[in-house]
Amino acid sequence: MLAAIDPFSPGVLLATGVTATAASLWLLLPRGQSGRRERTARWVGALLGLAALSAFVATGRRLGGLGEEAVFLIVSLVAVVSAAATVVTRSPVYAAIWFALSLAGVAGVLLVLGAQFLGVATIVVYAGAILVMFLFVLMLAQPSGLAPYDRVSNEPLLAAVAGAVLLGLLSLSIGRLSAGDDPATADPAPAVAVDALQADHVARLGGELFGRHLVAIEAAGVLLLIALVGSIAIVARTEEARVQERRAG
Amino acid sequence: MQSLPMLQNALIVGAILFSLGLVGILARRNLIVMFLAAEMMLQGISVSLVAWSRYHGDWGGQILVIFVLTVAACEAAIALVFVLGAFSRTGRLDAAAWQSLREATLGRVIDRELPASDTLPQKFPTLTPAGVLPETDEDELLQREHV
Amino acid sequence: MQDISPATLLVLVPLLPLVGAIITVAFGRRLGSRAHLPAVISIAAALACAVVLLSGTARLVGDGHGSPARPVEMITTLWQWATVEGTQPFSIPVALRLDPLTATMLTIITSVGLLVAIYSIGYMHGDPGYPRFFALVATFVFSMAMLVAASNFLLVYVFWEAVGACSYLLIGFWFRKPEAAKAAKKAFLVNRVGDFGLAVATFLLWMTYGTLNFHDTLSADGVIMPGILGQTRLADASGYVGGLVGTAICLLLLLAACGKSAQLPLHVWLPDAMEGPTPASSLIHAATMVTAGIYLIARSCPLFVACPDALTMVSIVGATTALVAGLIGTVQNDLKRVLAYSTISQLGYMFASLGTGTLLGFTAAIFHLLTHAFFKALLFMGAGSVMHSMGGVIDMRRFGGLRRIMPITAATFLVGSLALAGVAPFAGFFSKDEILASLNSRGWPDAHHDDHHATARKGDAAHFQLAAWSPDAGQQENELRPLSRLDSPATFRTLFWMALFTAGLTAFYTFRAVFMTFTGPTRVPEEAGHHAHESPPVMTVPLIILAIASAVSGWLLFSTHALADFLAATPSFTAPAVVATAVKPVFHWDLALQGTLAAAIGIALAAYGHLGRRSDGPQMERFLGPLETLFARKFFLDEIYSALVVKPLEALALVAAVFDRRVIDGLVDRVAMIPLALAAVVRQFQSGLLQRYALAGVVGVLAIVVALAWQLRG
Repeated sequence: MLAAIDPFSPGVLLATGVTATAASLWLLLPRGQSGRRERTARWVGALLGLAALSAFVATGRRLGGLGEEAVFLIVSLVAVVSAAATVVTRSPVYAAIWFALSLAGVAGVLLVLGAQFLGVATIVVYAGAILVMFLFVLMLAQPSGLAPYDRVSNEPLLAAVAGAVLLGLLSLSIGRLSAGDDPATADPAPAVAVDALQADHVARLGGELFGRHLVAIEAAGVLLLIALVGSIAIVARTEEARVQERRAG
Repeated sequence: MQSLPMLQNALIVGAILFSLGLVGILARRNLIVMFLAAEMMLQGISVSLVAWSRYHGDWGGQILVIFVLTVAACEAAIALVFVLGAFSRTGRLDAAAWQSLREATLGRVIDRELPASDTLPQKFPTLTPAGVLPETDEDELLQREHV
Repeated sequence: MQDISPATLLVLVPLLPLVGAIITVAFGRRLGSRAHLPAVISIAAALACAVVLLSGTARLVGDGHGSPARPVEMITTLWQWATVEGTQPFSIPVALRLDPLTATMLTIITSVGLLVAIYSIGYMHGDPGYPRFFALVATFVFSMAMLVAASNFLLVYVFWEAVGACSYLLIGFWFRKPEAAKAAKKAFLVNRVGDFGLAVATFLLWMTYGTLNFHDTLSADGVIMPGILGQTRLADASGYVGGLVGTAICLLLLLAACGKSAQLPLHVWLPDAMEGPTPASSLIHAATMVTAGIYLIARSCPLFVACPDALTMVSIVGATTALVAGLIGTVQNDLKRVLAYSTISQLGYMFASLGTGTLLGFTAAIFHLLTHAFFKALLFMGAGSVMHSMGGVIDMRRFGGLRRIMPITAATFLVGSLALAGVAPFAGFFSKDEILASLNSRGWPDAHHDDHHATARKGDAAHFQLAAWSPDAGQQENELRPLSRLDSPATFRTLFWMALFTAGLTAFYTFRAVFMTFTGPTRVPEEAGHHAHESPPVMTVPLIILAIASAVSGWLLFSTHALADFLAATPSFTAPAVVATAVKPVFHWDLALQGTLAAAIGIALAAYGHLGRRSDGPQMERFLGPLETLFARKFFLDEIYSALVVKPLEALALVAAVFDRRVIDGLVDRVAMIPLALAAVVRQFQSGLLQRYALAGVVGVLAIVVALAWQLRG
């Protein structure tokens, strides 16, 4: 019976990938262990993660051939591996730095996909602004040493399994796109020449943004303003409350 | 360039980012790391949107990603204010520090005693020193052990 | 008025007060001290319509004079309330009828209603519930007019309840006063007993006759469906069921009438109903609503004539009530209560008259109803006038000699009292004389038949005796009806003497009240303060009008026989069995003499006891001895009811309450513990940890997605 199953069939690859992903994430997540066992678990987890990744890569090869573009392969590997590291790293400071690397990978993916503006914007907005803000907070709030709550996770096994199952489900449905049996997705690649790679890409994006989506852009601007004012107002009130608390105490 | 395999590969990358972000949100206890994970989920979504945008030769996906960026920035601003507020109340960045909404008859969930860790004290990233060594401030050294 | 059809007028009589009531309810607060206007104007317009109807009906009756049994009626069907198809089709038409009886009743209701409404402008002045009072009075006039105009037992039932509701609301008008609230509740509950009788009687009527209509109706295929009091059935000699079912129907109707008209044993609510405003007592609890029972029995008299036992029961109940209420009335010190017991007593007279089963008896009852409505309304309004100026005090022992302070009230009250006592030539004398005559004719069947109706009367009397004594005619019925000998002349002889004695009692307690209130040295209670004066004209003018009516209506209607001839054309009174009892109207000098003698003795006794000097009751006590306690405690009827009905019910309620608390609530509590137990399990998961909740949500979503994917596989 077992011989009848092709070990490289997409189904088996997918199942292997999902299982390996769950096991790897569980091993890698902080579970409050002592140093030696933790290190062992991390090595095993990292190897399992690599196996899972290769399984998914193989699935992708079977699905459509991932090797077409080496650049895409490299940047997406960077994005995915550093994202996994972000999630499993004990120290939040290192997690933030891993996240920055992951962002770089994602920016690369976006560039490969032809969204130059978005790639650059991701770096600028996320890595440049948001992440630095996070680091400020971390440095402000971080106690000396590794906090106990950074060394344990909330239900690591369940969370890892849930994430892996979700990934499996998503892969399954993405894989079904190729089958072409779904009338909704049977539409072949559009004949319309995509202009995303053309030289005046950013100008066109801007035209689209400030033409068709002008109202939405205004609304987004207002939203940003409200967030700015709101965060200041909340901080002011929290400070006031703290001062009063201290006076009362 | 606009082939189906390309789309699928990009979608898989987006799915992996999304799933990892979900695991991070569910498992990690540090509020900051939870937000990093949430941003990671948004990244996964952004990748998928751009991939679809490319596949269909339509600007819609990219426009949507711009709004995702905007909302992520707002969210980060507001969320950090709350995280700071929470930290000032408890002195911790622990999501499990807030349990007041539990059933009255139940006790507080307390972490088990952790074995000693040999990774202490935490090593923070450093840069190679260059130039003149700055004078160290004695007071500051007394107050802080690191950085 | 010529252009308006009688049907429209008939609809307008109840409709106008209803509109008035609605306007008062809607704009009462805004109208403020003018809130009486809609009610007064609409009732006045209704009176005008009723008078036009009365004269029109009288003209119709006059045209057919010579053939006395020719019935006059007119039916207006407004709409079908409900229609049920089937093997036994059933429909409730909202039909109004016009016949002499209805026209007479409508006129009484609207005229007394108008006078009471005008009087109330003065009496209720300044009361916080001023608009509410007039809205209720207008609603009552509407309900009562519909009750007497309805041509269907179900509609009668509906408005029977409606007048009961108005009565309840008016007795409890000052609902913040505990006594008033209690009295209203008592009236409501006691009336329920009677209403139950009417409901069951309605069911039995439907089972027996297959219809509830009074009038004949034409079915869709052109067949005449005889109504219960329709002319088809009236003409049919065997149209009405006797025996057990018929007697049951009649006794249930009698129960209903006893409840509404405050007859023994359901009379206990009426004296307490005096807690309501005096104009309401005058209108509802003296002149109109309490006569609904008389109306009901008079209207359904063919049913009663077919059941002699039930008919005799009506007389027995009436005469007994008259006597008992008269005895109680002699020792009451509350002016309004004296009048309340007098009302019960006079209603008893009417029942006794109805129970004779003769045309004379029926018309005499309605005649007495009419005159009583005038003079009792007058007496109540007079009492209200006294109460108004005495600062709400109504105890006769606390004032006296008021004729010097309020001469108009005193004079009109005296006229009303003379009418009530049956002194010639005031109204009560003639109507009471006719009632005594009708009782007398049944007690001594052979005494007064020296005219050409003698044969008919003798045959009729023979018929009654036959039903009672003849072995061959009543063989089977005697087995079913062991009370068969009830309607013997001996019974009616006893009833006659009771009625005559009551006439003396009536005169006694009426003039006791007059002497205690209006004669002797002038005494005014402190509560009156400086307000002890004659009432304003808006109150005294209705008194004067009613006094004139009380003085002349009896003589006018008796001497011309207008009312008797008019009423004889009512369909119900044209049943052959009723027509057979018709006698030529004569004035019985011997009976008149007996009645006057009784009244004179009563007045003389009252004058001996109470005229000229203060009489605070000791004389009565000395005179009556232990009987005084018996009368003053109302024959201990309230106590007996309390012991027989109220206390057992309270015990039952206690048992039910314990059962409810222990068993029912216990079961409910056990059921409530199931969700509690389930919740205790689920509660363990409510850790308050944000991430556990998030995890649970994600796991749930994934489970659903996996299930969907499994279902959509392949």
